Amino acid sequence: MSEYAIETEGLTKVFRGAWSKRELLAVDNISLRVPAGTTYGLLGPNGAGKTTFVKMLLSCTHPTGGHARVFGRDTQDADSRRPIGYLPENHRFPTYMTGWGMLDFYSALSGIDTAVRRKRIPEMLELVGLDDRAHHLRLGKYSKGMLQRVGLAQALMHEPRLLILDEPSDGVDPVGRKQIRDVLQNLEQKGVTIFLNSHLLAEVELFCHEVAIIQRGKLALSGTVDDLTHGSGYRVESVNVPERLQTELRAASRAATSANGTLQLLYATREDANRAVDLLRAGHCEIEALARTKSTLEEVFMKTVEGDKA
Amino acid sequence: MTATLALIRDTFREAFARRIFWGFFGCCTALLVFLVFILRIDVVEGALATVSIFGNRLPTTNVQNLVQQTQSVIAMVLYFAGMALSVFASAGLVAAMFEQGRIELLLSKPVSRAHLLLGRYAGNVLVVSANIFYLVAGSWAIFGMKTGIWGAGYLVSGLCTIFVFSVLLAVIVLVGVLWDSAAVAIMVTFAIMILTPILAQKATLERLLSSEWSRDIVRVLYYALPKISDISVIIRHLILNQPIQSWMPVWSTGLFGAAVLALGVWKFQRRSF
Repeated sequence: MSEYAIETEGLTKVFRGAWSKRELLAVDNISLRVPAGTTYGLLGPNGAGKTTFVKMLLSCTHPTGGHARVFGRDTQDADSRRPIGYLPENHRFPTYMTGWGMLDFYSALSGIDTAVRRKRIPEMLELVGLDDRAHHLRLGKYSKGMLQRVGLAQALMHEPRLLILDEPSDGVDPVGRKQIRDVLQNLEQKGVTIFLNSHLLAEVELFCHEVAIIQRGKLALSGTVDDLTHGSGYRVESVNVPERLQTELRAASRAATSANGTLQLLYATREDANRAVDLLRAGHCEIEALARTKSTLEEVFMKTVEGDKA
Repeated sequence: MTATLALIRDTFREAFARRIFWGFFGCCTALLVFLVFILRIDVVEGALATVSIFGNRLPTTNVQNLVQQTQSVIAMVLYFAGMALSVFASAGLVAAMFEQGRIELLLSKPVSRAHLLLGRYAGNVLVVSANIFYLVAGSWAIFGMKTGIWGAGYLVSGLCTIFVFSVLLAVIVLVGVLWDSAAVAIMVTFAIMILTPILAQKATLERLLSSEWSRDIVRVLYYALPKISDISVIIRHLILNQPIQSWMPVWSTGLFGAAVLALGVWKFQRRSF
């Protein structure tokens, strides 16, 4: 079995108009490896090519160039989709189906036999927090949050080894989000690879170990969340710092704030932070906190996206 | 097999939900009720004694002739009007499959595209077949019980109607794959339904047309397109126990349907969603 859940090499998609010669390069030569068992976030601004990339993994969209493999199998092979559970972003589940009927239909397409389906449907509906009343209610009567939950249940029915989720918590209330996150964390512990496409950067940062940022169809950045947000500076906090010393400390700092007698200073390098500590100790000031600061994923994202625009 | 059954069952469920199935079923039931209660045929020792509709006696003729003529009328109504209604109803069922947000989820399953499309196609044919069979077999049984005449030609006419519908459904599928539009699918299919009876008058058209190239166009269209009108003649002959001159309209229509369906599957496999 391949050590990578997803492998792409030079994956490219060019959309061409049926009658015109106009071309749109949606995905540009993306090579990406998602190790099996990891939680991976795919980020990018609207229109960056994320959804096209995901659709090529599922063979909904045919690549113009390059190729993609799922657990070592070429995505052109229908069997490559057997270990995948997928929740699309703008899904349109048939409204005439009930929650039960929908899970029954899609899991039958995944090849699960009737007895197993009957056993697993109530388990899955319960897992995503849909009560008995929802089981036989038509999807047309479901709220957006309920549709997301039943969509997630659908993706989990056949016990996938790779879960591809496009905005899974879209329209879900905070309690539901927490519930979905718990479900995903439980799956992660069982070794399921989770590939998350989300605009909620805080959610991705909280949940994913690795991320890739796509910008204008190209892979702009990829790596572990820890590496990408690691060590952007140092924070020093002190109390009752005399005015004269404050001026000296502020001059060398990258940023400084003062509130309720506490001075917070940000330094770009360890040397600057140490020098500030020395000055504070020499001035008999108490050190309240000394810590390495991290960038948020949002900062990394914005830097990448805006840097690319520049 | 699990996936095929799921696709067929899903098409039935959608037809039920859209009231398509029940609409057909209601019309068929109304016609059967009419035959059971309104049409009275009294046969005495093999000869037709009385025929009455709404209690009014009709002139009596040969019983077999009357049954065959009545069956022929039902078969023609079913063939043309029923077919038009079926096309109208089925176009939406096919196009619904290609809706964004729905097709992606279907394609994400470990089922080949050909399997998905043909499963939906089979489900659609079965939805219409169930109703045609209900009407034809039901009315055949009623006529049989009332008159003792059990001619198989009428049952075969039902199969012919299903066959022609399945050919037209192949057109709906191809148009659906190409343009995702129920409206365009209906227009194209109705255009074929209107054009083919005109082309059936090939001999007359060839006489009327002055240039050879225009006569060639008529010939090509006649042989290439389904022969809906010619098959209606075959159906009448089957019911009336008359000899069939040629089966060419049937097999050439079948070839057309197979080619169009194969093209639809091929385009579906190549298409990006």
